[in-house]
Amino acid sequence: MSTYDVAIHEEAARRIDGLLLQFLAESSAMDALLIDRSGQLLARAGNVEALDTVSISALAAGAFSSTAAMARLLGESEFTVLFHQGIKENIHVAAVDDQAILLAIFDHHTTVGMVRLFAKEATAGIRAILAESRAQPTRVGALAAPLAAGEVGPGVRERV
Amino acid sequence: MSIINYAKKEISFKIVYYGAGVVGKTVNLQYIHRSLPDDNRGNLISLATGDERTLFFDFLPVSTLSVRNFVAKFQLYTVPGQVYYNMTRKLVLRGVDGIVFVADSQWDRLQENVESFRNLEENLREYQYDLDELPYVIQYNKRDLPNVAPVEYLEFMLNRRPRRVPCFEAVAVDGKGVFDTLNMVSRMVLVSGFAKEQGVHQ
Repeated sequence: MSTYDVAIHEEAARRIDGLLLQFLAESSAMDALLIDRSGQLLARAGNVEALDTVSISALAAGAFSSTAAMARLLGESEFTVLFHQGIKENIHVAAVDDQAILLAIFDHHTTVGMVRLFAKEATAGIRAILAESRAQPTRVGALAAPLAAGEVGPGVRERV
Repeated sequence: MSIINYAKKEISFKIVYYGAGVVGKTVNLQYIHRSLPDDNRGNLISLATGDERTLFFDFLPVSTLSVRNFVAKFQLYTVPGQVYYNMTRKLVLRGVDGIVFVADSQWDRLQENVESFRNLEENLREYQYDLDELPYVIQYNKRDLPNVAPVEYLEFMLNRRPRRVPCFEAVAVDGKGVFDTLNMVSRMVLVSGFAKEQGVHQ
């Protein structure tokens, strides 16, 4: 097997965004990130300003995968939930399926129990949408046709 | 794996800099981070030990290419090079789209390069990735040092699979060869996506 694509088509993106917003409304969490386990951000809803979502995604996927490896050393298949407690803000990470995780950032306006409860519902809905997406062709529209020579833009050079 | 976001018109790829300990993988990312225009890069994150050896990975998001109104974003990772960190190396390879194998050109590091390359092949096999299909390039780093092996010899040791891949001489600490390597692997990764079979994956 070679590597493969994951496509988030516009319709799926809209439905996932809807579920993330619903999750935020119900759980009173501040931000929700749907992250591929390879470390790439798939979708986001929320209002934490200046959040470096790209870095958070890479680090959360790394943390989740390393705890999964620890779980296997204990004979578990994985730990399905991670919780990091801060002074003001906390992070809750839940497995969506074997390729995605849902990260929530929340503060004192809610509790880890509420976040966990509604994350469970949200992950079920997102799991279904991702399963549907995986059954569709990944490259459509502008990306469907083979690439002609010279079509890729020039690479970058270092600043002088 | 590449992530295609049709709503945002973005394609994201994961590129891993692989190689033995202290060959210059992190130095490559540091130079790229220092030298790219702000619009083309995010923050460089290093999960390192107290003595600056990579513990888990370094991470740098960059955007260097575009195609058909889609922006191609590349997430650059390094792995920890030391032999005993294999479990974390394997974790970083998850979902990889392209690899830069960084080799130390010095004679006395040849064996470690070869062992690291074998380790890469083994770890990829565990994910059912095939190095004959995966885009990758080789960078022969530290060419400025006095006791380096000729490139032909390094090629014989490390680039002898049926598919010969592009290789670059580099002095990563000065930036020499760093962007040639990055631009080549990112182009190969982007182009290879269009040659892939469509449809459902496991």
